[in-house]
Amino acid sequence: MLQVLFNGLINGAILAPAAIAFTLMFGILRFPNFAIGAYVTVGAFSILFFDQVAGWHIALATVAGMAVTALVVWACDLIVFRPLRAYPSVSLLVVSIALSLILENIIRFIAGNDVRGFDIPLSRPIKLPGLKFVPEQLYLLGLAAAAMVAIHVLLKYTSLGKAMRATADNFTLAEVRGIDTAKVIAATWLIGGALAGLAGLLAGLDLVIEPLVGWYLTIPVFAAAILGGIGSPFGAVAGAVLVGLAEEVTGLWFNPAYKVGVGFVIITILLLFRPQGLFGQPEIKK
Amino acid sequence: MKITITRRRLLGASAATAFTTALLPRLTLGAAPLSVGSLTPNTGGGGPFGPNIAAAHKLVAEMVNGKGGVLGREIALHQENSETNPETAIRAARKLVDVNKVIGVLGTWSSSVTLGIMPLCQEANVIQMCTSSSANIPLKDKKGLVFNFMILSPVWGEAIGDLALRRGYKTYAVMALNNDFTKSMVDSFVAKVKAGGAKVLTEPFYYNGGQASYRAEVSRLIESKPEAVFIPSYVTDFTSVYKEIFRQGYEGKVITVSIATGSKFKKVVGAAADGILHGLPVPSLGSPAYKDYLKLVGLKDTGAVQHPFGTAGHDQMSVLLLAIASAGTDDVGKVRAHIHKIANPPGKTVSNVLDGFAALEAGEDINFTGASSDVDFKTPTGVLKSRDFMMWEIKDGKDVVVETIASAS
Amino acid sequence: MLSYLISMATFVGFFMILALALNLQWGMTGMVNFGIAGFYALGAYTSDLLTVEAGWPFLFGVAAAAVLGLAFGVALSFLSMRLRDDFLAIVTLGFAELVRLFALNEDWLTRGPRGLPIDVRPLSGVFGRDGYAAFYLAIVAVVVLAAFLVNERIRRSPYGRVAKAIREDDVVAEVLGKNVLRFRVQVFGIGALFMAVAGALYAHYTQNISPDHFTPVVAIFIWMSVIAGGAGNNKGLLLGAGLVMMFLEGTRFLGEFIAFLDAEKASAVRIILIGVLLILVIRFRPQGLMPEEKFKGTGEPAPEARHGKFVMQGLNRQNSKKGG
Repeated sequence: MLQVLFNGLINGAILAPAAIAFTLMFGILRFPNFAIGAYVTVGAFSILFFDQVAGWHIALATVAGMAVTALVVWACDLIVFRPLRAYPSVSLLVVSIALSLILENIIRFIAGNDVRGFDIPLSRPIKLPGLKFVPEQLYLLGLAAAAMVAIHVLLKYTSLGKAMRATADNFTLAEVRGIDTAKVIAATWLIGGALAGLAGLLAGLDLVIEPLVGWYLTIPVFAAAILGGIGSPFGAVAGAVLVGLAEEVTGLWFNPAYKVGVGFVIITILLLFRPQGLFGQPEIKK
Repeated sequence: MKITITRRRLLGASAATAFTTALLPRLTLGAAPLSVGSLTPNTGGGGPFGPNIAAAHKLVAEMVNGKGGVLGREIALHQENSETNPETAIRAARKLVDVNKVIGVLGTWSSSVTLGIMPLCQEANVIQMCTSSSANIPLKDKKGLVFNFMILSPVWGEAIGDLALRRGYKTYAVMALNNDFTKSMVDSFVAKVKAGGAKVLTEPFYYNGGQASYRAEVSRLIESKPEAVFIPSYVTDFTSVYKEIFRQGYEGKVITVSIATGSKFKKVVGAAADGILHGLPVPSLGSPAYKDYLKLVGLKDTGAVQHPFGTAGHDQMSVLLLAIASAGTDDVGKVRAHIHKIANPPGKTVSNVLDGFAALEAGEDINFTGASSDVDFKTPTGVLKSRDFMMWEIKDGKDVVVETIASAS
Repeated sequence: MLSYLISMATFVGFFMILALALNLQWGMTGMVNFGIAGFYALGAYTSDLLTVEAGWPFLFGVAAAAVLGLAFGVALSFLSMRLRDDFLAIVTLGFAELVRLFALNEDWLTRGPRGLPIDVRPLSGVFGRDGYAAFYLAIVAVVVLAAFLVNERIRRSPYGRVAKAIREDDVVAEVLGKNVLRFRVQVFGIGALFMAVAGALYAHYTQNISPDHFTPVVAIFIWMSVIAGGAGNNKGLLLGAGLVMMFLEGTRFLGEFIAFLDAEKASAVRIILIGVLLILVIRFRPQGLMPEEKFKGTGEPAPEARHGKFVMQGLNRQNSKKGG
């Protein structure tokens, strides 16, 4: 039982940074960004580059990779999304899907389809009564938690964070009050990109690095963010953990092949009773 | 500058581009080229393998064109991406068959793609060459036009089961990627080990590829503490699965298929790969064809399994071209009969398409032996005959042969 | 070349039926359906199993597919009661994935990953190969026309005005006594019916289906057709479907020009090109390929032209945004 909880937590930790990024983008930019998976892939490959080609220590490589991803994500906004700012969100969703395909295939063009991994040897588990884990997984948890705390501090205590929250609440009002929404938007992309980069590290450690790795995470990330309530980073983390747990529990009790499907069912049921997600704002449906 | 795309301009431009590019190849001068189609999984699940197959097709075609082509005609190779998805592959095959008028579609890998395009290829009388292992393939091939360069998976499963028994394992658990390739393999593996007195501790189960985590699946696999586990799958998901198996502390033997444990896998997993047992149908040991293939694609012979599907691609193109040369025509009915003739004994053994042409010129019968297998078909079907099987163990990051058998399909 | 074009036209036909059906669901009632592949698969497998395994004639197989599509569509539409559009997108995607997983894992029924071959075709043996292809195209064209007419009919009918009211203001419409839910359920169901029929036709055309044919990529193509074509106009949708297919297949022909690249890179380039073309169309032709049709009698844009029912917490977007 403890193991199941732990496993669910690890699943959640891998999803959490990307889910936070997704929910921030959704809250401020007003559309579901399907390219989040591709951003994670960019992150994984960027870190891989610094780790293997440049030969840096994995920690340094991660920071560098996160920075690169942040810049790439921001550049995508400048080139692709900014000219379309006033478009309805469904159009932006479709554009983000196209962007996702483009990014994935640019990576495939450069790096090919082969599987890759970081220069970190696998380790055997530490065994406690009722629980097995490897030290690497503690890092995963720690990093995900650190990301969550960092974002929380940012949003609650910094002026940028307050500006971001105001913009997410009501864009027009924020502008009227003199908030530099252009800066808020740029910050959102950069922060989101950095988080996606971090997610790339986590996915690369836990799974494999290949052009499709982010794509596989996209649907669980969506589910986690929506479950947690759009615009709420804390909700995104809670959603990620719940989705992670749901998958573990399903895998254990039912046919693991339906794992993904059951995740959807749980989300549907929850949303039916609480349409705004766990921590989202209730709204008058209009 | 504001760009206005009017509807008419857009449609006009698209149509013009499509038609012009479709027509362009026809404007080349010379004798009518021989059209051959190459449909490989360059993206999607088969992504790690498709490009090798495509490259092999291209290299053989270029090599032959360099010597004047076949029957005095240049080989026009048309390559498409199946995306490991039958829905798009069918449209790609349509283009190859209806527009490029190819004599054969080579290189399909996933069984669902091979089966997906079969109705239209059969209808159009086009040869297919694949490396798919679904038992449905010979069943659906009503015209004897499909030549499979991969052993059917029930045979594969039985051979690996045999090899596993010889290593002495008495209790097993089985888990596989959910697709056609693995399903029949699991059934025959289980039957074989049970017949050999071993026990399969948990009901074999399947997982879907492309998941965000494999923790639950692996827990279920190893909870009964079997001596050995059998996990046929592809390299992308096997790598994630194996990492999880290692991290969960499983100390027993991991058995899989060699296509999942190539050099890239070993690089990712490092020293943790030691101890994995994997099996693959192979050409006769040290075959000259395999060595030639490595030279052709510029690889060093490391003794490890390299390009299991690329080698098949090389053989596919070689066999097709040799059959056309032998038949003296591009009439499909005759060509298919000659495939059996040149690929099967009796005849002078050749492992290289150019040597084969030379022998045919001299009026000799040939028996082509390929880089992926001996390429002997069970006439009149396109199903491969007897195959050698080898099992390797990974030791210090290298594949070391531990067992060999010659299996009969 | 002609048979290639006929076959491409047939595939475009399937896309068109799906796009028209989607427009019915989204354009009329604002329900974002990403589960298109689910209804498509239901139709394909239903018709397939009944005609091949149970020996039913082709028309009955298609009819059964239609009924099943309608039933599931109606069931799913009840979810729209409580779910916002973006959430509905995820939930409908989940539905499609569940259908696909079911098809993949329950092989006792669907033969799982092996797929189902289909030998049953209407009037097979009557025409030669080319003649049959044209015949099948005609069948598909008839269904496209039917879907188009149903779409137009609903748009111009009192239903259509109700749709406009719902899109404007749910709550007001409800207060005025219009049965919003009933309308949504009916329209969504009809859309799902057409998607299932398209699936049945697809199965009998390609003669071999497996779960691989019904991945979320299908939904992506159809949404691209609808957005690129312009949801404000049904004719635009047809063009959109044709355009997406032209991008997908037309770029194959460019392969001759990038032959110097190896296969992996060439495939990557092709997909990049498709993505870029799509973004360009959406950017420089935002209203889609065809202009919004005026709603008869009121001089205002048609209800379905008001796409973007992603309402965010009272946000009011103005076109004159400054900065980013």
